[in-house]
Amino acid sequence: MDSRRDKRFFSKKKVCRFCAEPIDMDYKNIDLLSRFITDRKKIVPRRNSGLCAYHQRQLATTIKRARYMAFLPYTVLH
Amino acid sequence: MAETPNHYETLYVTRPDLKEEDLAKIQQKLLDSISSNEGEVIKADKWAERELAYEVQDHKRGIYYILVFKALPEASKEVEKHLHFYNTDILRFMTLKITEEAANKNKGQQEEKTQKTETAAAAPPQSEPEPTPPAVSAEETVAETATEVPIATEEGGAQ
Repeated sequence: MDSRRDKRFFSKKKVCRFCAEPIDMDYKNIDLLSRFITDRKKIVPRRNSGLCAYHQRQLATTIKRARYMAFLPYTVLH
Repeated sequence: MAETPNHYETLYVTRPDLKEEDLAKIQQKLLDSISSNEGEVIKADKWAERELAYEVQDHKRGIYYILVFKALPEASKEVEKHLHFYNTDILRFMTLKITEEAANKNKGQQEEKTQKTETAAAAPPQSEPEPTPPAVSAEETVAETATEVPIATEEGGAQ
């Protein structure tokens, strides 16, 4: 613990949520998807979502599907 | 090479002001087109009536219907053709190829539900009235899967 505190730039390693726990990414799962969009309804970038490349790609597709089916908005200007 | 049947999931949104019989007619038409192409319907349900995220053809609400089936690609094309035909009543639709596993999950749910309704019908007045439309159960599953650690999405966004 103490040795950790000494390191000034210690940062927790991010683990992809969807790798850690297999969750079905479904475009009907709006509660889940809405966590990965910003206030402006943009898709959260990978550096903030902490997902691996594979799941980030899946997420982007899923969100776009949800948008088409009017589950999620495209913008705040609707 | 002979084509093998796939599993499909179709979700479509209709106008909210349609009558029950019109909705049933559309659903029946789709079911007929599947069965006439030797497909197997796994699930055909009213999924939810909910607010749309944005207005579609000046409608703020929509009725979502779900259809899970196993059929040849031609059958899914046929279904989409019908959905196109009702384009004044159907606001949005999407057909996705899904895995057999995902399709069978629906099968299990469907059986459970029919059992539930059967038991409810057997003893209607004593047992609690169970207003469990498919929408509720779907939302429950959504809530279950989404209870994990919330991700601070805006953490670095402001930098």
